[in-house]
Amino acid sequence: MTTEAIPSAAAVPPVGAAAALAVHGLTVRFGDLAAVEDVGIAFAPGRIHAVVGQNGAGKTTFARAVMGLVRPAAGSVELAGRTLPPGDVVAARAAGIDMVHQSFALPPTFTVAEALELFVPAPGPVYRRSTMEARWERVLRDAGIEASPRARIRDLPIETLQALEIVRALAGRPSLLILDEPTAVLPPPAIERLFARLAAIRATGVTILIVLHKVREVLELADTVSVLRHGRLVLPPTPASELTPARLGHLIVGSDATAAAAAVAEADAIEEAVAGAPHHAADAVPVLRVSGASTAAAAAEAPLRDVSLEIRPGEIVGIAAVEGNGQRALVRAVVGLDTLSAGRLEIDGADVTRAETLERRRRGLRAIPFDRNSEGVSATSSLWENVTIGELLRPAPGRRFVTPGRLRARATEALDAWNVRYGSVDQRAGELSGGNIQRLIFSRELGADARLVVAAQPTRGLDLAATAFVRETLRDLRDRDAGILLVSSDLDELFECSDRIVVLLGGAVAAEFRSPFSLAAVGAAMVGATEPGR
Amino acid sequence: MSARMARLGPVGRSVALVVASILLVSAVLTLSGFSVLTVANGMWQGAVSAPGAWQMSFRWGAPLFLVAIGVAIALRAGFFNIGGLGQFYVGATAALFVGLGLPGLPAIVVLPLACLAAMAAGALFAFIPGWLRVRYGTDEVITTLMSNFIGTLWLQYVTAVLLKDPSGTGQQTATRPVEEAYRIANVQGVSPVTVGILVAAAILVWLLLERTPFGITSAIAGRNPVMARWQGLRLERVGLLAFLLSGALAGLAGAIEVFGPQGRLVSGFSPQLGFTAVLVAIVGGLNVGGIVLAAAFFGGLQAALLYLPIVTPLPPSALDLLRGTIALLITVTSLSALGRALGRRRARSD
Amino acid sequence: MEQLIATTLRTSAPIALVALGGVIAWRAGIFHLGLEGLMVIGAFFAVAGTVATGEVLIGLLAAIVACLIASALFWVVIVPMRANAIIAGLGLSIIGVGATSYLLPVLYGKRGILEVDQGLWRPITGVQAGIAGALSELSVMVWLIPAFVLVVWVLVRRTSWGLRLAAVGEHPFAARSAGVDPARMRLVALLACGVLCALGGAALSLGSIVAFRENMTEGRGYIAFTAVIFGGGGPIGAAVASLFFGFAEAVGIQTQLVARDLPVPSQFILMLPYILTIVAVFISGLAAGGRSRLPGAFGELRDG
Repeated sequence: MTTEAIPSAAAVPPVGAAAALAVHGLTVRFGDLAAVEDVGIAFAPGRIHAVVGQNGAGKTTFARAVMGLVRPAAGSVELAGRTLPPGDVVAARAAGIDMVHQSFALPPTFTVAEALELFVPAPGPVYRRSTMEARWERVLRDAGIEASPRARIRDLPIETLQALEIVRALAGRPSLLILDEPTAVLPPPAIERLFARLAAIRATGVTILIVLHKVREVLELADTVSVLRHGRLVLPPTPASELTPARLGHLIVGSDATAAAAAVAEADAIEEAVAGAPHHAADAVPVLRVSGASTAAAAAEAPLRDVSLEIRPGEIVGIAAVEGNGQRALVRAVVGLDTLSAGRLEIDGADVTRAETLERRRRGLRAIPFDRNSEGVSATSSLWENVTIGELLRPAPGRRFVTPGRLRARATEALDAWNVRYGSVDQRAGELSGGNIQRLIFSRELGADARLVVAAQPTRGLDLAATAFVRETLRDLRDRDAGILLVSSDLDELFECSDRIVVLLGGAVAAEFRSPFSLAAVGAAMVGATEPGR
Repeated sequence: MSARMARLGPVGRSVALVVASILLVSAVLTLSGFSVLTVANGMWQGAVSAPGAWQMSFRWGAPLFLVAIGVAIALRAGFFNIGGLGQFYVGATAALFVGLGLPGLPAIVVLPLACLAAMAAGALFAFIPGWLRVRYGTDEVITTLMSNFIGTLWLQYVTAVLLKDPSGTGQQTATRPVEEAYRIANVQGVSPVTVGILVAAAILVWLLLERTPFGITSAIAGRNPVMARWQGLRLERVGLLAFLLSGALAGLAGAIEVFGPQGRLVSGFSPQLGFTAVLVAIVGGLNVGGIVLAAAFFGGLQAALLYLPIVTPLPPSALDLLRGTIALLITVTSLSALGRALGRRRARSD
Repeated sequence: MEQLIATTLRTSAPIALVALGGVIAWRAGIFHLGLEGLMVIGAFFAVAGTVATGEVLIGLLAAIVACLIASALFWVVIVPMRANAIIAGLGLSIIGVGATSYLLPVLYGKRGILEVDQGLWRPITGVQAGIAGALSELSVMVWLIPAFVLVVWVLVRRTSWGLRLAAVGEHPFAARSAGVDPARMRLVALLACGVLCALGGAALSLGSIVAFRENMTEGRGYIAFTAVIFGGGGPIGAAVASLFFGFAEAVGIQTQLVARDLPVPSQFILMLPYILTIVAVFISGLAAGGRSRLPGAFGELRDG
């Protein structure tokens, strides 16, 4: 990743000027849990300030409390010396704060113009559609965004949505712009463009507060870095130049030694990705064979176009693609949620093109879905139901009746074996933390009978210790001769775990690489800047 | 308060909200000049203690129970079947067709056939909205609501045209009665046969919901269909089966009405049965044991209401007030949120 | 023929008014099955207010106040207290029918019907023959329907309030980020809906029959709810759907009055609108790609 595109911080005002944002004794509670506890912090104007921490450290809650979206239990927020009323979005926006949300605040069926108009603080009572669209068309053009004001939000790619959010946030001319995990949804080239855009915004005098969790990105972008851990401030704003990746990693994870090591490893140059030795036998029958697969057009994403790939026993095949280029369609097609319009799917040599998900699972297919909380577990069902649903759907022949007592015992066994931290098997899955939910899913999906594992974004949003655990688990599976299809937007992860990487572009296979991987080559293939390589 | 409600558990919660509704309606009755004690005493007599009272409670509770466990099967799988009334009517007419169409055959042949026909008809009537729902995503709340109107008109047609009792006079149209030999119960509705059918239905549905993979996985699918699909659950099949069972149970309730207390069909009988059964299912916590109690309670209310005129001139619509209030309140999940909202209003106006 | 047109307009007007109210609630994300209850409450209090004061306008006012109170209570139950909107809405409908039937004997000592000596103003008078004669039975509320449709259309499609309303219904978190309080917005939407339901009820009880009968809405509130969905959640669609339902009812009435010897029993003709609604909901569901509403709507209205 290059840094030339970003102007140096030398041009920003000196520290010591009045704080752009000062927070005193801020505490936010959800029920009995203190998400943010007694945080006092001040940010100098005209700079990019990063707030970092693990998942659950309270970063997003802190940002939302500043924005007035969350009402603090105690403490105050001061913007350029003026105290804001707590929990009042309207007052915060009027005072000059605006926020770009990680999952975007844009209603899907709205047109671009409508979504932008929604955020105008003091709109006229009645509008004319054509006037409104013309006005926003100018704004979009000035910001360099290629989107029609008449386009529907749901039809736009993620990078455009984020650019829209930024335009929307800047439309009110805020003095403080907050961004919540803006890089989590973007592919590497878009992250570079985002960082350049943020630097340009800083140059206009706007103070930027950015919530991040990747050490490398933080040190590349931010002027100062602050660290939250368990809701408390452990590092006040400190110039990024005074920090090393190792020190920052330690501050983020605290005393946990393995996780700290993982944090440092992540911060290290990704070109040094460890290439696992291939375990697979080249002539074995592939666990998964996809030949000439195409799917029907879908709204949000490119459909598959004539995709062919193979996964052999003991092999991890990584899928690298910019969000929206067919990785979701591929996973859904392999799992059996969508049917192919053309082509063929085989699991262990058996044709499953027309087979239902259940039939594929009987043949050893297991899946770790994109979204843990909605696709991976039923948050309002008990732990034992979430763990045993797999075997309930594939009952042994002759077992018409089941007993909840036996199922509870089975669930206890599975959860304990995977070190899930829980109170009782009767508690709801939604009460577990993200890492523990992922372990629950593993306990269900990665039993001894797993032949083909589709792992979609298995570490997204997990903290460093949990991430390390997931990657280790995938490698263990490979050693047991299972085939693994790993889809991840985190190139570090793909490089670290995969034996081969297949790049999807516009729903078709653009290139295939064997380890050791070159970031430049894979990145270029992902954006279509290269000939299909070997 | 919500933490306190959570500690009550689902049973305590249902009981607390029903009691709260009773208190609210009692206040309304007091304000409009009725003595709550007299009314309560009359209701107790009408539902339990007067001669023949508990039989009448059973008579009204039985169809509620059958339709409600059907509603519960669908609701657990995530589908709002509020078409119980239509399915009940269609089932009742099918049973009547068999009862009137096979004269001379022994009851042991006719009755099982009629029950099967009623269940098939109810299931078929539920199949249409169910199939549209699972196959095409057509909203089942609307389609089942519409199917109630269609079922009601169908019953009207059967009673007023097709099987009209030519000797019938009076405002309501009715069909010819079934033969006395086929009756499984008299007007009071309690007989070994009806009790036997209810107990069998209760046990079978309990086994299905609590002791089979279908029962457990369909409940998970009801809470999160997306996750269930990733697990390989055949949502279409499970949903359709839930609709079919739901309709079959409502149809069976219709058959019992025809051969039991009614002995024939009257246009527009038990018009509140469909919505009340949804209420019974929810008050009963969507499980069989709770629904038994809830059906007994609402059946008792209905019986008491018919007895009340002997004691006090309370308008029968008072029961609708109570039913409506319970429906309004029974799914309330958070009282503390109300407190917070009011607290915020106060804080803001300071 | 003239009679059919007049009957269609007369029967569709109350449905259209309630459906317009339902559109506003629908856009705020509320599945409002309490429309039936609000409509019958409006019908009762319009008559009760007129009987008490001898003024139709006071009757209208009484209907509006009663529906506002009922709507506010409904809001308290489904928004701050988080009850399921479908069940609570059915409850509101049962209470509405029950309470008005209960008040009839309690307040007036009457069973079944409460008559009143005056109704809503009828703009066309003194004509007996032809189309004008048929239209003379229509109350002012019928003639005002286009204006109501236009007002609601501008409100939801061309005002910033309408954008905020739709945002609350579709993406509460976006609404909150824009500084809109979804709970308060839903209250305003339900109150606006209540006013329209009151007018719809009054159009029924003071429009042509000029009396309140027990359970006089006979499911028209549910039909109005259906018209909202049939019409795709927009005011013009809802109005057209209401007109269609009015037409179907008018055909039913006409066949019962005129053509007793039809080859098809009248019940089957009366079934037609319900069957067509199922077809329409099916088609609009297809158009939405089968993603109209996920099952398990328990706990909806949760804010993101």
